[in-house]
Amino acid sequence: MATCTGCALLCDDIEAIVENNRIKETRNACRRGAARMKGCVNRLVPSIDQKPTDIESSIRKTVEIIKNARSPMLFGLDNSTCEAQAKGIRLAKKLNAVIDDTSSFCQGLLIERILQKKLRTCSLDDIRNKADVLVYWGSDAQDSQPRHLSRFSYFPRGESRQRGYEEDRKAIAIDVRESNTAKICKGHFYRIPLKGDREFILALIEALSGKVPAYDTKKMLELAGILKKAEFGAVFVGIGLTYSIKEDFDILTALAEKLPNFNIMPMVGHYNMRGFNEALFKETGFVNRVKLEPKAVHDNKYSIMESLIRKNTDAIIVVGSDPMISLPRPVLTYLASIPVICIDPCISMTSKIAAVTIPCAATCMESGGTAIRMDGKVISLSKIITSEYMPDEEIMDRLMEAI
Amino acid sequence: MVTVMELYQLLPRTNCKKCGESTCMAFAVALLGRKKNVAECTPLLEANFKPQKEKLESLLLPTAGAEETGLIVHPELCTGCGNCVVACPVDVANDPHGAGMGCAPTNEKVIFKVVDGKVMASNIKECRRFGKSKVLCYACIDPCPTGAIEFV
Amino acid sequence: MDIGKFLKSPEYEIKITTYRDIFQAEAMERDRFGEEYKMLSAAISISKIDMQKMGLKPKDRVKISNSYGSIIVEAKETKKDEPGGLAFMVNSPWSNSLVSGDTQGKGIPEYKNINAKISLSKEEITTLEKLIAPFIKKPIPF
Ligand code: SF4
Ligand code: SF4
Ligand code: SF4
Ligand code: SF4
Repeated sequence: MATCTGCALLCDDIEAIVENNRIKETRNACRRGAARMKGCVNRLVPSIDQKPTDIESSIRKTVEIIKNARSPMLFGLDNSTCEAQAKGIRLAKKLNAVIDDTSSFCQGLLIERILQKKLRTCSLDDIRNKADVLVYWGSDAQDSQPRHLSRFSYFPRGESRQRGYEEDRKAIAIDVRESNTAKICKGHFYRIPLKGDREFILALIEALSGKVPAYDTKKMLELAGILKKAEFGAVFVGIGLTYSIKEDFDILTALAEKLPNFNIMPMVGHYNMRGFNEALFKETGFVNRVKLEPKAVHDNKYSIMESLIRKNTDAIIVVGSDPMISLPRPVLTYLASIPVICIDPCISMTSKIAAVTIPCAATCMESGGTAIRMDGKVISLSKIITSEYMPDEEIMDRLMEAI
Repeated sequence: MVTVMELYQLLPRTNCKKCGESTCMAFAVALLGRKKNVAECTPLLEANFKPQKEKLESLLLPTAGAEETGLIVHPELCTGCGNCVVACPVDVANDPHGAGMGCAPTNEKVIFKVVDGKVMASNIKECRRFGKSKVLCYACIDPCPTGAIEFV
Repeated sequence: MDIGKFLKSPEYEIKITTYRDIFQAEAMERDRFGEEYKMLSAAISISKIDMQKMGLKPKDRVKISNSYGSIIVEAKETKKDEPGGLAFMVNSPWSNSLVSGDTQGKGIPEYKNINAKISLSKEEITTLEKLIAPFIKKPIPF
């Protein structure tokens, strides 16, 4: 059995049929997972200033760049194993560097709340076994974590949910558009206006408190009625909700207080983003945006976005992430103007502007380790094919030695 | 996908019973269910019905890819989410601790399996829509986010 | 004389939010410089009502621009009926071309809340190569 690293569900029931050291066929993986396991068509090659070189020269050049940097940054690691993440954090510490990852503009704030135990949470296995009311909020699991509904939340039979989803479970979608997930939730789709989550939560809190909500009264009372009856509920918080309420997480806490039978589940995209957040949290008390001086200092100015806007970073190591694809265009000019070291299995937009590129093995096909699922469960990743590529963990080691 | 009405509109609509069905409508239903061939309506073979006959044949063509019982999966629409695998009552009954629990199927008796990110159907004779005590089951169609499963 | 060439296509204000699509994610896993990724990313889904209001048809090319960037993408009708007033793009470097870099010090860009202008266009769909070109210092073989 192999584990898929296509998203933070880390499906570990994948059968991969290997022929001539290539994955010929996958079973049980969804469309995205199958593509991921079969690998990208364009592998990265080592390069300096976009001219091909050997990996040793790339590593030497990287060391030269970061040693000369006044304020280096390590970014990414969400697509790396826990082992590589631990080494990355140590490397950042040694460099007195700033460290941040995609959770900085994704689910970081939510995961921080969960790790601080400010929000109640549970495991996906609990949800499969016990959950009767499921709320997909600003989350289109069908497209982002495609096997979420079939493996854990809606469709499977669980210990105390033996009769099938039509009788045992209710699925509710709250979103600005009728997503594929909302389509499955049929009669329980609540469409809200863009940025309307806050108002919706406030009205829902009123309805749950027995008051008459000012907003869409009939539907709100109906929803409150369903939620109140839940024996074991789950709210799947997608980035739609996270982006909408921004740093105003107290409002979600307030809602959670009104829903004592509910647990909050962060819907994470990158397969080991939670792993990064947990590792940094254990080390520093913060999930991202930290400068390791080497004492940890947390500040929004250490976020990737603010570091680039304020031009505070003068060299950046990007591991398994493609900020040129995921960041807004206005900050790309500065990103492309500083030396970027790109460590990735595949050619990416970031590798195209990088001063140095270092190819690495694709986790879970060419290298193993562990990763943390969206619910906090540790999942092991096994190597299924051999390759000439170094795992990113080893690259971190090599950089550490050389500094 | 083609409907009974569309097929019916193209038939001679004389209820002549030459096809062995009592009405043209019944014949249309039988066509859709793959129980009859277009050629069994002999009046259609006459020259003046040529366009209708060709249209009927082209409408019924996609089923060339259909399984014997009429279940079609459109691979280009399928996301491989596995909802149908877990929701199909046959899969639950035949593999309660695998497919039924949302896990990978543990035996070959299931109807749905996800291969290379897309669903593949087998053992279709087990489907509840067929056989003696058939029921109109929608358990694989309803949970599909993209309409990738169809019965013709 | 060709009058048409002096007539600018009408421009409309549009609000865009972003979402994820499994087919586009699959294409990205395979080849982010490939045709499939471009086709699935360089597109905007607009409700039927809004399409009619703006006189657009599916497959029309449209120019979407604001002070952060400008792109040419394909117009599509939303798969499900949407009430209008909001258009949708799959999260990608194309949508990110329209996102502000200002996070008000908070570090989270407004990925899902984009205001732009839209108009019919005859230009080619923006390629990834074109999006990245200004950031590349030296020419490199793709
Ligand atoms: S749901 Fe996620 S982890 Fe599971 S197979 Fe699909 S992409 Fe891979
Ligand atoms: S043979 Fe043709 S025309 Fe006659 S009843 Fe059957 S379908 Fe109708
Ligand atoms: S119709 Fe019912 S029994 Fe037949 S394949 Fe679909 S879910 Fe299974
Ligand atoms: S439910 Fe639909 S999309 Fe999902 S695996 Fe089955 S056929 Fe494919």
